Formats: sequence, structure tokens, C-alpha cells
Amino acid sequence: MDIAALQHIAATNVWGAIWPELSLGCLALALLALEIVLPRAAHRHIPAVAVLGQLVVLAGVLLDWHSPWLGRETFSGLLRHSSEGQAMRVLFLLSSIAVCLLGRLNLQKSAMPRVEFSHIVLVVAAAMMLLAQSCHFVMFFVALETVTVGFYILVSYCRTNPLTLEAGLKYLILGSLSSALLLFGIALLYGVSGNPLLSGHTPAGMHYSDLAAFLAANPHQWLAGLGIVLVLSGVAFKIGAFPFQIWIPDVYQGAPTPVTAFLAVGSKAAGFAALLGLVRYAFAPYTWLVIPVLSFMAAATILFGNLAALNQHNVKRLIGLSGVSHAGFLLLAVVSVGATSLAVGAIYFYLLAYLIASFAVFGVMAHLAGSDDTNQQLDHYAGLARRQPLLAGVLAVGLGSLAGIPPLAGFMGKFFVFVAAFQADHYGLLAVAIAGVVISIYYYFGWIKAAFFEAPAGPSEGASAVTVGWFSGVILVALALATVVLGFYQGPLGRWLTW
Amino acid sequence: MIPATLNVYVGLSALLFAVGLLGVLLRRNTLVIYMCLELMLVASTLAFVAFSRFNGSMDGNVFVFFILTVAAAEVAAGLAIIVALFRKRLTVQVDQLDGLKH
Repeated sequence: MDIAALQHIAATNVWGAIWPELSLGCLALALLALEIVLPRAAHRHIPAVAVLGQLVVLAGVLLDWHSPWLGRETFSGLLRHSSEGQAMRVLFLLSSIAVCLLGRLNLQKSAMPRVEFSHIVLVVAAAMMLLAQSCHFVMFFVALETVTVGFYILVSYCRTNPLTLEAGLKYLILGSLSSALLLFGIALLYGVSGNPLLSGHTPAGMHYSDLAAFLAANPHQWLAGLGIVLVLSGVAFKIGAFPFQIWIPDVYQGAPTPVTAFLAVGSKAAGFAALLGLVRYAFAPYTWLVIPVLSFMAAATILFGNLAALNQHNVKRLIGLSGVSHAGFLLLAVVSVGATSLAVGAIYFYLLAYLIASFAVFGVMAHLAGSDDTNQQLDHYAGLARRQPLLAGVLAVGLGSLAGIPPLAGFMGKFFVFVAAFQADHYGLLAVAIAGVVISIYYYFGWIKAAFFEAPAGPSEGASAVTVGWFSGVILVALALATVVLGFYQGPLGRWLTW
Repeated sequence: MIPATLNVYVGLSALLFAVGLLGVLLRRNTLVIYMCLELMLVASTLAFVAFSRFNGSMDGNVFVFFILTVAAAEVAAGLAIIVALFRKRLTVQVDQLDGLKH
């Protein structure tokens, strides 16, 4: 390799194109530095600095929406910038801001250090952004592992609670297992695509478009097929799709509530962004394999998530299993991606609606959680409407949106996904999904019923001591309002939905 | 003496991967499970190096450095969790770690 080639490669390193990720990383380091420099009395303001910094980055991404790098590849083909990548950046920033706010609320109760929490959340958010824009398996793997290792620490963050540590261990083992499967799949794809005996072989088999060109030249290579299935199963773990959803109830229950929210929204959205990149670009010539695999996963995920949620009494397990079924609905749209242009917009809108509704529900959960964060039962919500009408109202709007009740954003999300599946002729899957929606209404309304129509069984733990600060109140009301407004008006997102 | 062909390397790598996978699924001690997980990563690493050597492209070799770094980070976080859990529960057998139920 000569100097000119190296110079050519170095010229593609455009650091300005990834300024949001870089600034999040620097902000994360700055938080740690602030903790060393500032006197102990000022430490409680550091999480606020984290939130403010993220708001600045969010504003910057929105101002820089039409960045000159859109539609181009940088870092010698590691990253590909697109307006969809911009949308995912906004989504991840919104979720990391919400998680930092939840962390402020929740970690105070369990007296855990909060600066490190913000630090890891910021690093994970930056890695998620890179993951959503990766178009090379090296970038894909490194970003995915940064997210996963960050989550190992976050899930077991309350290290004094044995249940939290147990959840951390389960996430660790199953997460590493899925990473190993994914990695072996990448190794197979790289090896097959570089084989000099096959037509269209390429030395750059880890780049999405080169791999797609190779796969198009060899449409029925069994080893490549095996690699694709292994990679898809690794991603299925991150989004919690059947049969890799085993970890979800236990980990969601054991993790601190803000981390559960981050897992449910951020990790899932990152998994879907990565999956979309793979299905649309890298594995596009292998639809004969990808579509049946993902269709089976979608149907099984919807049915499992909804049926298993029916007899849950712990709300964290309940919301985890309902999240499994939401992953199933999103998979339905992923399956339709090749056939209709509506599907991609439907996925982004669904993710946004799911983010807002989930954080409304998690915000209420964080307020009501007692000293034992893992023990949040449906019974604790009995009579909530009389004790805390504001929290009960926000909870009803959030759960209604998750269930897909008509005027709310969640309904429109499901509607767009179903229209996309209809246009792609997946009638069988559509029938399963509609059955899933009907089942889900039962357990969501069980929760709402407990909050509105049941009398409190007795003085339950921490039930009377709940106070809602004005700041949290404003945020919760804003989330509920956004859920209602997005149901009627999709705003700039409508541009994607009309493609 | 077996000639060092690509098939030998890939076969060995697949064997290591299978041993690791079976170990994760069948063993009950967390530390042994964790060792088996590392074995699976090493199997992929071997496959990458072999493919890189026989297909004449450097990408696989470079990827191995990233995998090693990531695996080190994973072990650092993972062993910390296992140690913290052992201090609380005094066991690393997965059968006895069943506190999370309903």
C-alpha cells in the first residue's frame, strides 16, 4: 500500500460529520472531570449539566438537519450519513435526555452515584448513533458492543441489590452469547464473500454494499445463508424478538427503572436501526431467506409477548413483555420494507410514538417506585386516580397509546405499520398482529383499571409519600400532550410517511 | 501431518465454536459459562485470521484487533458483575440464582 492510497483513505475521515457523537463523548468525559474539580457540595448539579449539554447537542442536530454529508460515506466506508440517521440521532438524544431525568428522580431514592450514570448513558447514546449510521461490519460490531457493555454496567448499577446484580448477570451471559453468534456470522460472511473460487468475490466483504453485490452474484450460497441467520439472531437478541426474548422479563424487573426505560426504548430503537441497515442494504439480495426468518420471528414475538404479559403482576415485567410485542409489530414493518416505501416511515413514526408513550409510563413508575425498585406490583397502583390524579391521567394516556387506542399516537403508529404490511401482502402476519392488539388491550386496561377503579387494599409501601415536583409534572404533561398531538398531526414525519 | 489448508482452520474454528456454545447451554457454573463465551469469541477470531490469510485481504486481521479490545472490555465489566454477585449471594451456580420471579 503506497502513500497516495493512505492519503486517499485519510481524506475520507470527516470528523465534522460526526460532531454530535464526538460532543456527546467529550461531554461524558467532562462530567467525570467536573466531579474531580468541583467541591463536593456542587456535585448535585452535574447531572443537570449533562441534561443541558444534551439539549444543546439536540438543538444543534435539528439546526444541522440538512448537513452537507447526507447521502455520503465517510471514514473509508465505515459510516453512511442519511436523513434517517439524523432522525435516529434525534430519537436517541430524546431518550438519553429522558433517561438522565429519570435517573435524577430514581437514583436519589436508592442513594447511588449519579455522575457515572450520566456518563455511561451519554457514551451509550453516542454509540447508538454510530450504530444507526454504520454501513460496515467493523463499525457495526464495535458500536453494538459499546452499547451492550455500557448496558451490562447500567443494568447492574444498584450493586447493593442482589436482584439487580442477578439481572445484570443474566443480561451479561445472554448478551455475550448473542454477540458471539453475531460475530461468527460476520466471520462466515466475510470468508465466503472473499473466496476466490466464487464469482463476484470481493476483498471488502465487510462493507454492506460490497457484500450485497457478492450476495447478488451468488443467490443461493448456503454458508452465506448461515452467516445471515447468525447475524440476524444476534440482532434479534437486542430487539428482544422471539426466540431471543428469554432475558427480557427478568432483566427488566431487576434493572433500575431508568435503565429499564433505556433498554425498552433506546436499545430497541438501536437494534431496529441496525436491522434496517442490514435488511435494506447488506442482505437485500437474500430476501428469499430474510423475509421468512423475520416473518416467523414477527408472528412468534407478537403472540409470545402478548400471551406472556396476560398473567404478570409486576409492572416492570409487564412493560417488558409488552415491549416484546411492540418489537413484533415493528418486525412486521421491517418485513414489508422491500415491498413498500411506507414501511420505513412507519418504523420511525412507531419508534417515536413508542418512545413518548413509554417515557410517560416510566415517568409515573419512577415516581411510584418504593425503596425496593424491583418490587413494583399492579396492586401498588390501586386508587392512584384519587391519590395522584395527574400521575393517573398521564399513565392512562401512555398506556392507551401503547395499547393503540384511536386518537393517540400509538394508534397511528400501529395503523401505518398495518397499512405497510397490507401493501406488502403479508395478510397472515396482519391477522396475527390484529389478534395481538386485541389481547394486549386486556392487560393494558387491567393496569388502567387498577389505577382508576380499584380502592387501595391498605396502606401499601410508599403509597402515600409520593410527591410530584413541578418540573417532573411539566415533563409528564408535555409527554402526554405530545402523545395526543402526534395522533392528529404527524408534522415533518409525514414527509416519510407519504413517500 | 495435516496440511494447513483453509478447511482445517475453519473446521477447527467451527469445532471451538460448537464446544463453546454447548458449554454455555449445558454448564451450570457462571465462571465456566463465561469461559465458554470467550471460547466462542476466540473461534470467530481464528476464522477471521484464517479467511484473511487465505483470501488475501487485510480487513479480517484488522477486525481481530477490535474484537480483542471489545472482548477485554466485556470481561472487565462481566467479571466485576460476577464478583459483586458472589459477594452478595455466595454462589455462582445459575440454578441458585432465581430470585427474579413475578
